[in-house]
Amino acid sequence: MTAPVEEFGSGFEAQPEAVLEGVGTPIAGRSLGQIAWMRLKRDKVAIAGGLFVIFLILVAVFAPLIVDLLGHPPNEFHESLVDPDLQTPVGKFGGASREFLFGIEPVNGRDLFSRIVYGSRISLLIAFLATGLSVIIGVTMGVTAAFFGGWVDSFIGRLMDIFLAFPLLVFAIALAGVIPNSAFGLSGDGLKIGVLVFIIGFFSWPYIGRIIRGQALSLREREFIDAARSLGAGSGYILRREMLPNLIAPILVYSTLLIPTNILFEAALAFLGVGIQPPTPTWGGMLSAAAGWYQIDPWFMVPPGLAIFFTVLAFNLFGDGLRDALDPRTR
Amino acid sequence: MRRTRTAAALAVAAAASLGLAACGGGGSGSNSASSSNTSSGSAATGFNAGVGQVFNPSTAKGGTLKMAISDDWDSLDPGDTYYGFAWDFARFYGRSLTTFNAAPGKEGVKLVPDLAQSLGQPSDGGKTWTYKLRPGLKYEDGTPIKAADVKYAVARSLDKEVLPDGPTYFNDYLDLQGYKGPYKAKDKGAGLKAIETPDDQTIVFHLKKAFAGFDYFAQLPSTMPVPAAKDTGTNYKSHVLSSGPYMFKTVQPGKQYTLVRNPNWDASTDTVRKALPDEIDVQLKQNQDDIDNRLLAGQLDVDVTGSGVAAQTQGKILADPKLKANSDNPIGIRDWYLSVNPDVAPLDNLACRQAVEYATNKASIQRAYGGNTGGAIATNMLPPTVPGAQQFNTYPPGPDNTGDLQKAKDALSKCGQPNGFSTTMAFRSDRPKEVATAEAEQQALARVGIKLSLKGFPSGDYYTLYAGKPDYAKANNLGISTNGWGADWPDGFGFLSQITDSRTIRPGGGNYNLSVKDPAVDALIDKATSAKDLTSSQQAWTDVDKKVMDGAYVVPTVWAKGLYYRPPTLTNVYFNPAFGMYDYVSLGVKQ
Amino acid sequence: MVTYVIRRLITAVLLLLLITAVVFAIFFLVPRLAGATPDSLATRYVGRAAGPQQIHEVAVRLGLTDPIYVQYGRFVKGLVAGTTYFTGTEDVSCPAPCLGYSFITQNPVLPDILDRLPVTISLALGAAILWLVGGVSAGVISALRRGSIIDRGVMAIALAGVSLPIFFTGLLSLSIFSYGLGWFPGGGTYVPFQVNPAEWAYHLILPWVTLAFLYAATYARLTRAGMLETMHEDYVRTARAKGLPERTVVRRHVMRATMTPIVTIFGLDLGLLLGGAILTESTFSLPGIGKYTVDAVQANDLPKVLGVTLVASIFIILANLIVDIVYAVIDPRVTL
Repeated sequence: MTAPVEEFGSGFEAQPEAVLEGVGTPIAGRSLGQIAWMRLKRDKVAIAGGLFVIFLILVAVFAPLIVDLLGHPPNEFHESLVDPDLQTPVGKFGGASREFLFGIEPVNGRDLFSRIVYGSRISLLIAFLATGLSVIIGVTMGVTAAFFGGWVDSFIGRLMDIFLAFPLLVFAIALAGVIPNSAFGLSGDGLKIGVLVFIIGFFSWPYIGRIIRGQALSLREREFIDAARSLGAGSGYILRREMLPNLIAPILVYSTLLIPTNILFEAALAFLGVGIQPPTPTWGGMLSAAAGWYQIDPWFMVPPGLAIFFTVLAFNLFGDGLRDALDPRTR
Repeated sequence: MRRTRTAAALAVAAAASLGLAACGGGGSGSNSASSSNTSSGSAATGFNAGVGQVFNPSTAKGGTLKMAISDDWDSLDPGDTYYGFAWDFARFYGRSLTTFNAAPGKEGVKLVPDLAQSLGQPSDGGKTWTYKLRPGLKYEDGTPIKAADVKYAVARSLDKEVLPDGPTYFNDYLDLQGYKGPYKAKDKGAGLKAIETPDDQTIVFHLKKAFAGFDYFAQLPSTMPVPAAKDTGTNYKSHVLSSGPYMFKTVQPGKQYTLVRNPNWDASTDTVRKALPDEIDVQLKQNQDDIDNRLLAGQLDVDVTGSGVAAQTQGKILADPKLKANSDNPIGIRDWYLSVNPDVAPLDNLACRQAVEYATNKASIQRAYGGNTGGAIATNMLPPTVPGAQQFNTYPPGPDNTGDLQKAKDALSKCGQPNGFSTTMAFRSDRPKEVATAEAEQQALARVGIKLSLKGFPSGDYYTLYAGKPDYAKANNLGISTNGWGADWPDGFGFLSQITDSRTIRPGGGNYNLSVKDPAVDALIDKATSAKDLTSSQQAWTDVDKKVMDGAYVVPTVWAKGLYYRPPTLTNVYFNPAFGMYDYVSLGVKQ
Repeated sequence: MVTYVIRRLITAVLLLLLITAVVFAIFFLVPRLAGATPDSLATRYVGRAAGPQQIHEVAVRLGLTDPIYVQYGRFVKGLVAGTTYFTGTEDVSCPAPCLGYSFITQNPVLPDILDRLPVTISLALGAAILWLVGGVSAGVISALRRGSIIDRGVMAIALAGVSLPIFFTGLLSLSIFSYGLGWFPGGGTYVPFQVNPAEWAYHLILPWVTLAFLYAATYARLTRAGMLETMHEDYVRTARAKGLPERTVVRRHVMRATMTPIVTIFGLDLGLLLGGAILTESTFSLPGIGKYTVDAVQANDLPKVLGVTLVASIFIILANLIVDIVYAVIDPRVTL
């Protein structure tokens, strides 16, 4: 499967054959990290992606400051700037101006720039947390399965099958739709975010799990593992000091490639109407609202659409570059 | 209430003429609105040509009427449906005892006999009503329509377990004496003494108390005849036996309904229906934006929901003179308002509720519904389209309708919350206009320190499980809830009886009255329902309206208007205020 | 081989039961977590005139008051042997395999699903052919002309393709090509194949292309990466050294190795898609089982959701099984 949820393409192409076979072999002289870094540096496009990702993270972190300086409060109405009959922004380009860098929303005239900036927080937060959850579960399961083999492997394999057979989107819609007002000590937005993170993360782990299992399997056969064992190393040591460090590379790569998928997933949930409550801005929610205004206010669609697009693109580029850098064979 | 299937993109746009509010009071407002836009009596073309007069009149038969809807019916079974559009559409395949005249403007809200030869004959002070059926009426299979079938139709609609969705007027007003319906009594209606059929053409109704407006009950789809032998209970909706000009060919719930001509319908017995198209085709569960676009592109004839185009399409139409000339912008019989729940503290205090009234920004909410085209700012509950309604403003919202913040703050001090308070606001999350309303209200009340946390619910269960369930609302602090009401029919009773009477509130949920619990209001309602004549009943209902506003139980925000698009392919199009949408049985298609 | 298949089939059935059990449990528990009780759930099925006694009777009649394992048992029994439902006036028999009965729409679930299946299948298969052919070709061309403008261009487009949400591209293409230029019919109009094959295709072109674009992008990248990897393998070098023309080398050796993982992934993707292309169907208003699912979930119609989940899972599990078998056949390294 190329993507955790149907209809989500992504850079996240799980290749059944171990692409990163060469990764495990330590090369004398330079560490893996150094080699990879050198190769990455030469890949301009990947660096561009990486820089954008960093930029985005900074924007999300410093959102309140940025909005204070450059925009208006995200929920503030500016109805005087909206045509009373058509409900569309009065100015050109969707009302864009020095005051309103990305224009304003139809009907209520909210500042799109601020809403995009704040929306980045939700998108990135959910995507990162969900990916983190997936990775933790997936790596644990994958390594365990590969390392212990036998019935453990079979069992975990069956488990993965079960998870993969779940219609993820259906679940997400249904679960997200019935969240009570407060539970587990959280409430409101926090609770909704928590639930979304859980749903997305908890059901996506097999994707990483399978890959890591594949990687770990091939690692297990390597000579250095045998060597370590013959020196008397216990399972724990081998797992921690020999396998895990060599798995960092694929973990990193596939995490980076999983994030954009999760961003798209959250956007889809918002599109289907089960995302975060208004008036909290999310990119997916804005896109869903904007799609209907295309004919008379096409600019409304542009900021959230481009925001999602560039973010996903950046992560994909960076992840691709990372993968290329860590693999001596594919160029 | 006749629910309107306001789908994800509900756009009830209002006419450009704000003069509407000024020309309210007495008479049907829709007529006055249209006359300010088109010269009456001229060959109908242009903006609002379908309001107050017939656009493109025609008697040409033939063609297929292509309709679509963004959701589905609650049920095609005439005894089990409560949507305005469903009642309008049911006239294709069913005839009730009386029905609304198929005419535009003021003529449309008049009742005329349909199955019956004339309107009901009251006796016994209005507690008994008699109708005589026309002779020679047949179903689609050629069998004759008898009075006993009308009785059976009403009897089966009483059973709210089997047929849960229909209106409850017959349950509430017939002298049932404990009769539970033919499914429980297993008697094909024989045990229902409240309705008598002395012969095949005569039917007599006995009420618990006198009610002068019984003819309005008689036009309900529940009186569309159902032969007991052919009733299949909950399954009847898969093929309703037609008494009208069309019968069902295919019924695929969630996908499609098609109807073809009923060979056994006799046009000479029917003064109401024209039956112009040869076939009627309804596609269900379509994307609302899609429906609007197809209407504009000429690929579709009618959006069955009948509440107008979506907000974005509204803009498109208004900006293009060619499209605008093909559209109508009438006022309907629908209110959008906010219910302010006295069960949730501190809204149990009148002054706190009044603070909400003053702080609400009605101009914002009007924008949420589409600005001037979407609705007129409401001052009280009865809109000007209801004959005899008066406009008054108990809580003037300031000169620009954005609210009177000073009075709001004063009210807050009076109720002991000078710095405001917090509560939750409920709304239907799949309705963008209610989302926008909730956001607007949040902003508006924040100006005086009232903090709203917004909670959206799916509209399917909004009334049954959430806002309409008193315990849930109380437990979850739903102090304010969005609400809307389309009158079952345009008079005071049809408008206010179900939403202001505290005795209609059921603890199990499914209530439309979310907040009016006042015995004084109930008393005034009783006075109105027992009124002897038209004028006194109209005045009595205005009194009810005033009392409800005095109690600040609801904040009326917008009297809804719809922007309807009339594809040039349609003939014989006009807005019938009785249904609040185009009159479907009159429509024809150009060949 | 045969024993393998049989073993996997048995596992598949067990898996299916397990999935339905979990789905059932989740949809059973979650409303209760949100505070619902059997009576409050029954409220949805009665009219407003019902009193608390009536509501409770309905709750009992619908089986909402039974413990979860009883309700689930009823469901499984229906699957295997059929069952009857009492709708208030009569008994409705639901023959095996009974996927459930929706009390909200008063319809058994299986006929609804079977009705909508052709739409989803049409959508999925059409798009699948397009993306397989288009995506793989693009990837091959890219790999063979690696580093050239064509390569960069194709890969750039592919990257864009995987970065755009399908509901966005779908709505855009509808607005531009359907309502703007009028080249294609709008959404919501599905013509069954048996009625008119030409119309059927015409109405599906826009959804096909939109859906295929997404997957083609992914497959282009996959194919390119796979080919580049294989082209440097030793045995390929040997083939070249033998003097075989490049075209033969590519066709016989490189493609074979590249296509194996692609085909297996393709099977899995198709299986997933057959379970309901929810976003595409919602965007284009196509009456397939994806849209049916969304409607059912939003109406909180548990029997429908269960039925659809079951069907979707069947497709996925079946696809997994077929892919595993195909893989085992093709790749001699894999032992069963």
